[in-house]
Amino acid sequence: MDEIIPDEEHERALARELDAWLAGDHSRRHVLAALLGIGAAGAVLPASAHAASRAGWLGRQQDHLLQQAAVDLASPDTPLGKAQADAVTASTKTPADGSAFRAVAAAKGKFNNVSLALTYEAGLQALEPRNFSGPLWQQLTGMNYSVVELAHPDLYSKAITEHIAGSGAYDVLDIEPAWIPSLADGGVIAPVDEYVKKYMNQADLNDYHPLFKFLPMYKGKRWGFFDDGDQLELYYRADVFGDPKLKSAYEAKFKQPFRVPATWDEYSQVAQFITDQMAPNVYGAVHFRKFGSPGNQFAFCQQFRANGGVFFDAKTMQAQLATPAGIRTLEQMIAANKASVPGNNDLDAVAAWVAWLSGKSAMLFSWPPTGRMSENYSQRSKAVNFVPTSKIAGKVGYAIMPGKYGEMASGFVKAISADSRHPEAAYLFAQWQSSPPVSLVRVMLPYTLRDPYRISHYTSPIYRSLWPSAKDYLINLSNAANFGITDMIMPGWQDYALTLDRMCTAVWAGKDPKAALEGADAEWNATTRKIGVAAQRASYQEFLKGVGCYPDHTVDAMGLAVHLT
Amino acid sequence: MRGGIGARGLAGQRARREERSALAAWSERHINWLLVAPAVLLILAITVYPLGYSVWVAFVNFDFLIPGHAFVGFGNFAAVLNDPVALHSVVVTAVFTVADVGLEFVLGLALALALETKFRGRGILMAIFVVPLFIAPVIVGQFWSLLLQRPFGPVDYILSVIIRHPVTISWLTEFPWDFIGVILADIWQWTSFVMVILLAGLAGIPAELHEAAAIDGAGSWQGFRFITLPQLLPMILLAVTFRLLGAVNLFDTIFMMTGGGPGTSTYTTAYYLYQTGFQEFHLSEATAGSWLFLILVSAAIFILVRRLLKVEEA
Repeated sequence: MDEIIPDEEHERALARELDAWLAGDHSRRHVLAALLGIGAAGAVLPASAHAASRAGWLGRQQDHLLQQAAVDLASPDTPLGKAQADAVTASTKTPADGSAFRAVAAAKGKFNNVSLALTYEAGLQALEPRNFSGPLWQQLTGMNYSVVELAHPDLYSKAITEHIAGSGAYDVLDIEPAWIPSLADGGVIAPVDEYVKKYMNQADLNDYHPLFKFLPMYKGKRWGFFDDGDQLELYYRADVFGDPKLKSAYEAKFKQPFRVPATWDEYSQVAQFITDQMAPNVYGAVHFRKFGSPGNQFAFCQQFRANGGVFFDAKTMQAQLATPAGIRTLEQMIAANKASVPGNNDLDAVAAWVAWLSGKSAMLFSWPPTGRMSENYSQRSKAVNFVPTSKIAGKVGYAIMPGKYGEMASGFVKAISADSRHPEAAYLFAQWQSSPPVSLVRVMLPYTLRDPYRISHYTSPIYRSLWPSAKDYLINLSNAANFGITDMIMPGWQDYALTLDRMCTAVWAGKDPKAALEGADAEWNATTRKIGVAAQRASYQEFLKGVGCYPDHTVDAMGLAVHLT
Repeated sequence: MRGGIGARGLAGQRARREERSALAAWSERHINWLLVAPAVLLILAITVYPLGYSVWVAFVNFDFLIPGHAFVGFGNFAAVLNDPVALHSVVVTAVFTVADVGLEFVLGLALALALETKFRGRGILMAIFVVPLFIAPVIVGQFWSLLLQRPFGPVDYILSVIIRHPVTISWLTEFPWDFIGVILADIWQWTSFVMVILLAGLAGIPAELHEAAAIDGAGSWQGFRFITLPQLLPMILLAVTFRLLGAVNLFDTIFMMTGGGPGTSTYTTAYYLYQTGFQEFHLSEATAGSWLFLILVSAAIFILVRRLLKVEEA
């Protein structure tokens, strides 16, 4: 039982015992005992000099594990490699007052027996901590980590179930900013103000785009670090909009310039025109309208507010969806659906990307990875092989949303679990991960779904060199954030969002928009009553103070706009 | 003194021996209970305790968004009964159950009759029919979702080629095609379950009955109606009961194919409870809903099982 049994020997031993049993040489009891012994011998890892040898089976397994744990670094000749080298320098040498350096210095050697459990959205999001930030942090500080992959809705529900169970299963949580009120009030996440005072570099906090800087704040406390600039913007086919024949035909028909649409009515009109002229080769637009993937609530909320809609009567807390703004929004969305690729209502975000990258659509509003995929930057990574090679590279333009106000749809905040047994270690990791030099790498990785959110990201000469129009892409993301409006950040957002998603899919299936809106109002009012009208009124008032709650409260409206060149 | 100590020692030993033999006798009498006790305790721990806990949860507030566990009486039950989505889910579940089980019975019976007699390739065909039974329902849902989803699923294209006319059915997002899609997926997976049970029942019908009927001049339809069906009735009821138990819990295919949509049109009771309890975290409402649906389903199954037992007795 003390010797190590390599794979081949293990197989031979198993075969011998089974042959003997089949020949009737051994009793069943003997065979079972022998098999147990072989299995145990193969599984036991004795602490011996031979065990440490790389030559045996165990050595091969250890090598494999170490390779898995190695940091995935690009060649230093490449922009990504350079950014990674800068991140390592910032973490180990200079600037000594930077938040990356401070976090590493505070954590180094102090938490060697700690293993942080990090929740991440399953799939591409989880690749980054596995391949870069996790192993690099481990090398820099000696701290271990494990990545817990969860479906997006489970990032909310599992955090709550583990909190209810008091398991302490997670340390660093990836959460949406809109969940902060529910999770903070529910005691799932912990404020980080004390740690910020102790470890954070203030200039690094000010490096956030103003839209994202205050999103982790709630009831006067900071609940984490914003970590993913999910600002929706409009991507369009510059070749289609630059086509002189289409231009003259459109202007002849509508007596208006053929341009990237500035309003939602113009958006439907332009999309329908392109479909009429170019289908089935190219359609005017494509949308992700499928239930829950990620859901229609973002598209509805941005258009609803751009049309002047408000979610609640601030005094009575009665829902205000079934209003002219709501009806107009749904009618515009129905018109846009008609002008879109066939099967538009069945598409999720990835399927919409497939249609866009295949050149089937002239317009798409979606998250920032769209820009990277359009230029085949993301597809350099095998992990992104579920989207096709872009057929439209070099033909994509970037614009802010029709109606001007695009949703900052979802986003992520790095939060510390209130049940974490290592809150300081968890905090230091979150600070380091979201620090300017490290986060720049994380938003530049080809397979990443993390999007730029710091001024230093938008102005980074390294990022701007990734593809010819990367500079325009980054500037437009910053502009879009200047007019960005956020999800409704208050308790119960999950319930309200689910209602909107269900309402929209019912309308796509033919339900009358007014009836659907009235039904949604009733559900929203029931949710408000369930949580407590007075409590929700107070929460709504908090939301109204936040940047990006409505068009009159955007970064631009508040005089905080970032102007980049 | 020494003799006294010796006598006391011997008496003590005798007493201990008597104690041990009493214990041994008791163990001998109750050995059966002792052996099953660990399993019984485990079952009690993982079923009875959670059931009891769920009764408590159903009568208090247990909602992540609302602090505390105040007693609310029948408030949670009333919330479910007054929720139009909950009532709609009962109707949807009934529709799916009747459609699924009805069609699976008809198709399963047809397949069983076709496979009753031996022919070349029968074994391979049976193996092919039975394969879907071994696939997890969530994979079945994903598989059918990929087949049916516009615009990338192949079903519309294949139908267009067959009927030589463009087919643009949104199988997952339009009524009634979303229902048809889910029913197709369920039939594809579970028809062979009914087939296998009925095939076993057919094998148990004495051949002499059909021979005697043939001698008396009965045709094949009369043989089927007056001999096969009555003889098969217990197995039919068994298959239908088992399928009913499965169909009323329809969740995986709904989750993967329609997400309960469009809107809430394909919400089954299981999906409704999942959304309410594990997405919205209204745990006490979901628990109360579980008890209500359990009572409803139990009543229906009780009637069926009684019917089944009556047939067996006859």
